[in-house]
Amino acid sequence: MSLVTILELVPLIGAGLLFALPKGNTKLIKQSAFALSLATLIVSLLIAYRFKTNVSGMQFVESHSWISNFGIRYAVGIDGMALVLILLTTILTPIVLLAGWNEAETGRWSVRTFYVLMLILESSMIGVFAATDVFLFYVIFEAMLIPVYLLIGGYGRGERSAAAMKFLLYSLLGGLLMLAAVIGIYIISTNQIGGTFDTAKLATLQIDSGTEDFLFLGFFIAFAIKAPLWPFHTWLPGAAKSATPATSVLLLGVLDKVGTYGMIRFCITLFPHATKTFTPVIIVLSLISILYGAFLAIGQRDINGLIAFTSISHFGFIVLGIFALTSQGLSGATLYMVNHGFSTAALFLVAGWMVARRDSSQIADFGGLQRVTPVMAWSFFIAGMSALALPGISSFVSEFLVLVGTFTKYPVAAIVGTTGIVLAALYVLITVQRSLHGPTTAGNENLTDLNLREKIAIAPVIAILVVMGFFPKPVLHWINPSSAATMQAAGVSDPLPKAGK
Amino acid sequence: MTTRNDLVYLIALPLFSSAFLLLLGKVANKWGHLFATLVSASTFGIGLYEFVAMHSRAGVARAATQKIFEWISVGTFKVDASLLLDQLSICFVLLITGVGTLIHIYSIAYMSHDKDRRRFFAYLNLFIAAMLLLVLGDSYLNLYVGWEGVGLASYLLIGFWNERPAYATAAKKAFVANRVGDIGLSLAIMIAFTQFGSVTFAGVKAGAPHASPAALTAMGAMLLLAAAGKSAQFPLQSWLGDAMAGPTPVSALIHAATMVTAGVYLITRSNFIFDASSTARLLVVIVGAITLLFGAIVGTAKDDIKKALAASTMSQIGYMILATGLGPIGYAFAIMHLLTHGFFKASMFLGAGSVMHGMNDEVNMRRYGGLGKVMPITAITFGLGYLAIIGVPPFAGFYSKDKIIETAFNAGGTRGIVLGGAALLGAAITAFYMTRVVVLTFSGEKRWDDQAHPHESPSLMWIPMVILSIGSVASGFLLSYGSALVHWLAPVVNSTNAEGGKELMRPIVVSALALGVVILGIFTAIVKYNKIVPVEAPQGSSLTRFARRDLGQDDFNHHVLVLPGQAITKGLVAMDFSFIDGVVRAVGWVLTYFSHSLKKVQNGYVRSYALLMTAGAIALLATIWLVTL
Amino acid sequence: MLTSPNLTYQLLAPILIILGGALIGVAVEAFVRKGLRARVQLTVALLAVIAAFVQLIRIRDQRSTSAAIASFSFDGATVFMQGAILVLAFFALLLISDRGNFVAQASAIPGSEDEQISISSGKSQTEVFPLTLFAISGMMLFPAATDLITLFVALEVLSLPLYLMAGLSRRRRLLSQEAALKYFLLGAYSSAFFLFGSAFLYGYSGSLSLNGIADAIAGNSGNDIFLLIGTIFLMVGLLFKIGAVPFHSWTPDVYQGAPTPITGFMAACTKIAALGAMLRIFYVALAGDQIQWRPIVTVISIVTMLVGAIAAISQRDVKRTLAFSSIAHAGFLLTGIVALNQSGLKASLFYLVAYGFATLGAFAIVTLVRDSSGEVTDMNRWVGLGKKSPLIAGAFCLFLLSFGGIPLTSGFIAKFSIFTAAYESGNISVVVFGVLTSAIALFFYLRVIVMLFFTEPKSDVVTVSVPSPQVSFVVAASVIVTIVLGVYPSLLLNSAQSFASFLR
Repeated sequence: MSLVTILELVPLIGAGLLFALPKGNTKLIKQSAFALSLATLIVSLLIAYRFKTNVSGMQFVESHSWISNFGIRYAVGIDGMALVLILLTTILTPIVLLAGWNEAETGRWSVRTFYVLMLILESSMIGVFAATDVFLFYVIFEAMLIPVYLLIGGYGRGERSAAAMKFLLYSLLGGLLMLAAVIGIYIISTNQIGGTFDTAKLATLQIDSGTEDFLFLGFFIAFAIKAPLWPFHTWLPGAAKSATPATSVLLLGVLDKVGTYGMIRFCITLFPHATKTFTPVIIVLSLISILYGAFLAIGQRDINGLIAFTSISHFGFIVLGIFALTSQGLSGATLYMVNHGFSTAALFLVAGWMVARRDSSQIADFGGLQRVTPVMAWSFFIAGMSALALPGISSFVSEFLVLVGTFTKYPVAAIVGTTGIVLAALYVLITVQRSLHGPTTAGNENLTDLNLREKIAIAPVIAILVVMGFFPKPVLHWINPSSAATMQAAGVSDPLPKAGK
Repeated sequence: MTTRNDLVYLIALPLFSSAFLLLLGKVANKWGHLFATLVSASTFGIGLYEFVAMHSRAGVARAATQKIFEWISVGTFKVDASLLLDQLSICFVLLITGVGTLIHIYSIAYMSHDKDRRRFFAYLNLFIAAMLLLVLGDSYLNLYVGWEGVGLASYLLIGFWNERPAYATAAKKAFVANRVGDIGLSLAIMIAFTQFGSVTFAGVKAGAPHASPAALTAMGAMLLLAAAGKSAQFPLQSWLGDAMAGPTPVSALIHAATMVTAGVYLITRSNFIFDASSTARLLVVIVGAITLLFGAIVGTAKDDIKKALAASTMSQIGYMILATGLGPIGYAFAIMHLLTHGFFKASMFLGAGSVMHGMNDEVNMRRYGGLGKVMPITAITFGLGYLAIIGVPPFAGFYSKDKIIETAFNAGGTRGIVLGGAALLGAAITAFYMTRVVVLTFSGEKRWDDQAHPHESPSLMWIPMVILSIGSVASGFLLSYGSALVHWLAPVVNSTNAEGGKELMRPIVVSALALGVVILGIFTAIVKYNKIVPVEAPQGSSLTRFARRDLGQDDFNHHVLVLPGQAITKGLVAMDFSFIDGVVRAVGWVLTYFSHSLKKVQNGYVRSYALLMTAGAIALLATIWLVTL
Repeated sequence: MLTSPNLTYQLLAPILIILGGALIGVAVEAFVRKGLRARVQLTVALLAVIAAFVQLIRIRDQRSTSAAIASFSFDGATVFMQGAILVLAFFALLLISDRGNFVAQASAIPGSEDEQISISSGKSQTEVFPLTLFAISGMMLFPAATDLITLFVALEVLSLPLYLMAGLSRRRRLLSQEAALKYFLLGAYSSAFFLFGSAFLYGYSGSLSLNGIADAIAGNSGNDIFLLIGTIFLMVGLLFKIGAVPFHSWTPDVYQGAPTPITGFMAACTKIAALGAMLRIFYVALAGDQIQWRPIVTVISIVTMLVGAIAAISQRDVKRTLAFSSIAHAGFLLTGIVALNQSGLKASLFYLVAYGFATLGAFAIVTLVRDSSGEVTDMNRWVGLGKKSPLIAGAFCLFLLSFGGIPLTSGFIAKFSIFTAAYESGNISVVVFGVLTSAIALFFYLRVIVMLFFTEPKSDVVTVSVPSPQVSFVVAASVIVTIVLGVYPSLLLNSAQSFASFLR
């Protein structure tokens, strides 16, 4: 059995074990859930350790027949891109569990249910990145919505059930469009190479252009909803405002990456021609997302809403990098997925603590926190710096790679995108000024600073943000082969320098 | 090219000391400032050592590099974190660490009453580290890291007292204005990679001759934009005045001596681009000329001593930028003026700080007067700096500034006359407003109220001032003696083999002219201000008022950028709810509407059900009929 | 000179066993004393069903078109559908046996003295068992019949008992009787259509057997107009039974009025029988004429999906909601007919079973939610049920998710396979509408879930009565089937695959 399968099973079985624990003993439940997530992390680190950077293609592959009538297989395997996203998942899960230690108390249902859902979610996130069978991917892609739905609707704040509903319907609609496309490509495979859902095999199909566009859109819209691309984004702010910090982190930090991941893994790899056809439109959409998200972030009064819109802007960058289809763009986008994961994690967690202490998510209610709660303020500030992609912090590397990769092919797009860095500075610094600077607003004088648990939770995130700013090398070495493979599948290559030496 | 392995300490020491002080927290409050100063001093020591080592090496071997680690490598985009210490960067290393150390010492006393002194020194070292990275990086991308690093440090230090909203705003303004410049730097780097497949200085230099003029001009323009942002040049100059919100030592180090001159460094470093594109050079001189006059005019109207000095900084950097646009020889003179300016402007800022220190942080010069008697050392050191900046021989400014004016005249044709004229006019105005500052502050009768008890500052503060003023006396002569600097920099900017364009007039004439206008400026100022000065600023002419408002730069930004931006934001927020999300909600409504109208059909009467069935059957028949016919 | 027809009793045995059980049931009504009756009836019925199923298993691999002259085809499809009907009927019977759903004495006028007496004297209705068995026998014959007369007979045999059973509800009897009457009238009307259609087809082909019609179409002899009218009218009769738009109007009223166990039985089993027959007619008899009817069925299927899904949104009554959901599913099932290929047949078979179990389970739960005056079907009063009894509510949600086609439930595989079949046959439009409609349908399934779990319960108490063993058994079974077929569908898909064939 492949390590990847084991990695999926650890949290899943763990979730089952939690049911065995007494419902009342929340402390034990929390501790065991945390321990399980740590165990998962260890397994994932083992995988990373055994992962070979020099070989291209999938590793740790495993494949069993699942639904033979349709040639559906339980087929998993990871390449560099999948690996880094899985690591993102397994690193963030224990962190959010630790950070949101008391989040579940206020929910509709028991604390146990919360942690069960969390572990199921982790397992399915690992599975979705590891799946190499399109059907398997689709099944997890859809099924994982349910735990998120329950986490938002059951443990969230404010308009939680409405927000959860919107999230679910939106995602399911996208999923169903994708289902049509999945069926379509399956039928084509039955006519050409015998029914299969194997991604690699499907990439070899000869599809007439009309159908290819149709199928491409089926996949793309689903992913554009998931990784909210303008104008499919309206579900996100509500969800972010209602969900608990831990959920928001996993939702925006990891789950939404499935969208951008899918664009690379399926849209481009399976439908290279359609990709070329739609690239202009998609690049425009991504640019709109970048600027639109930034402007709306500036206009936000709710701190979680702000983070949500900054994410929309950042997803714009990721999509831009992907469809620039240069190795810098692709690797940059993939690295961006990871960095954005940690950066949003930091933002949401610290914001969550601020909100919990102040019992309000209105930015206006904070102010002068730097004097009252220095550690919390600093954590938020650093998270903010990573959001505006300050050089020396991880996000810069990815953002610059995306832009430079885009510029080599689409200079105008890159220029427009670059203006986004000013807006980023605005939405971060305005928020920093309103919440951390200035005289301490009434009611904040006695806020308590981060406690030890919270410090332990946030420290690794910040460490990663800084270290990966200077030393993204290992991650890039994992990612680059996947990008190269994608480029090859899409049949494109990097433009050469214009002025030869 | 020699490879060394000890350059990294130049950056590592201050960087880690800064992180160390920040992470350690209150524990370090007692000794944090001393530690920081020690680190800064030792960095200076390393700098000196490197300088000596470099000096002892022969021509080509002088430039030294060190590869620290592989930073980014994707496809052909390969960037190492590696350093380049050549004749150009060593000048900056010495300036930064030298002046930096002096200002550390000064701040020990200046900030002694501030409870966050440790944090202040941590920021200072963060700045030193970033600034050194800026001048030591061997590629545009490494430079970028330092570039934004100093921006961050500047942001933190301007907003050091950010509990006062105005200061926090000033910090934000500085950062954002710099970000606008950063767009330029980012795009320049992208152009470099697209054109030359490399972002190292060496790589770009090698490729420059083969690149299309358009590309070179574009890259030059983008670099200029970056420089304008960082060096407060027109049109991105608006932030520097507000940046004076920071503690005075910061204004001296960051916003006078070092960081704001980074733009000059960038252009000088990219000389191979500008040499190859005359259009880019033209843009540079235009920006420089405008800014040097702009700053000078603003300087005449400011009553806040720090703002006046800030305006003059802006103007002096204008001179440097102008020089960099004047071809190979210009780079050398730009750097020379940069160094001398580093000395005299720093000494004057520290002087200003010392005055404020004595006057309970009063900055309004109209409330000074006659301070020369009570704080003689400050007065003298400031005076020396003053003589240096207005360019009186044999003080430092005379050598550097005259060279620039001269070169400007020699630019040839009308351009030469215009630029030279501008530079000359600037010199006159400089003399005027600096004299004004000195007169208002140190001579005349006392205008301060009785709470103030001005006194000379402690030795920890005046010693650095003295050292710097010595610099502002001697540096000019030393650097230009046998055109030492010109030859020293030649390998980098090949300043020696500059095409000897025919001189418009002999150097001595230019110097005489310059001296003339300077004296004129001095006299007007003395006549105007060495008398009873109203404590409340008189209304003044419309031009004066316009100058007080920084020639409307903020109004411009407010109306052209801020208001539209806010409007766009408001509009988009509204649209997002009402239109984009509205469409989504509308779908829900429509479905529900249909659903309700379907209910009507479901009325429970068998007859209508039967009717529906019949209708259905007929409809089917009809359709199939039509289909088949 | 008449020759007695030769019958392969072995192959007819399953049906005959059920009929026999029914007759015994009638006898039981006559001779067993009241106290025992209910129990005896149930035993007889269950035994009959089991016996029939066992026999079916024993003969599952035999094939014959001449089991009863030429009017009964014992082929894979027959085996599968008869088996499915028997299994589902078994669980339906368990539901029916749960006391308190049926009127004490059907003859007593609602609200009359007699009724009071009959209720107080603890009488209970037991004719329902033989009736159910008769219906089952009809259902088993319907998809196996290969000539129009037999089809019609089967149709009536399965319908008449249902008309009666719909009227037997213990509570809200007027509503129940109204439903029964509506069902009867409209049913009769549709039967007329069916019969009329048969006549036209006979007129066209000079034959009543499906093969004969097929040959006629192949030979392109005869009057096309007759073929058209015949096809349409036949279609009307069948579409009425599966509740496709515009012949669906009866469904909500009858589903709501009939006793809930009966509703479940109808929803699950009638669909199989009717759709089975329809599949056979269109695949065997009319396949040659597809150019003409395929577009129509496509349109009907799309319209049915849409109307079912959209109308359900505004429903406030659980049973009506489920009725409309069943209409939507009728639409999805019709895509199996549109597909007109082997995978379409396979998919339909799987779909029918998956849907049947989920439906039975759902209605079983409806019988459990009660207040003092019996079942509560007003959805607003189901609010917060998830707090009171999470297990039951959870099971209900599972069924809804399965209806909605969420992965890892049987419903998803069903939808996936039937859409795949349709796509394979080139009818992409129906697939696209299918997925879009599924999204709309999800909208109201989720609304119910929100009511159950995400809304604070109101003051008025709706209790979930402690389920009797048989009901909890039904629910449990449905849950298990729904999940197993969702996670490991090959179990059923393989047999559906191997049995998906019509003999002609």
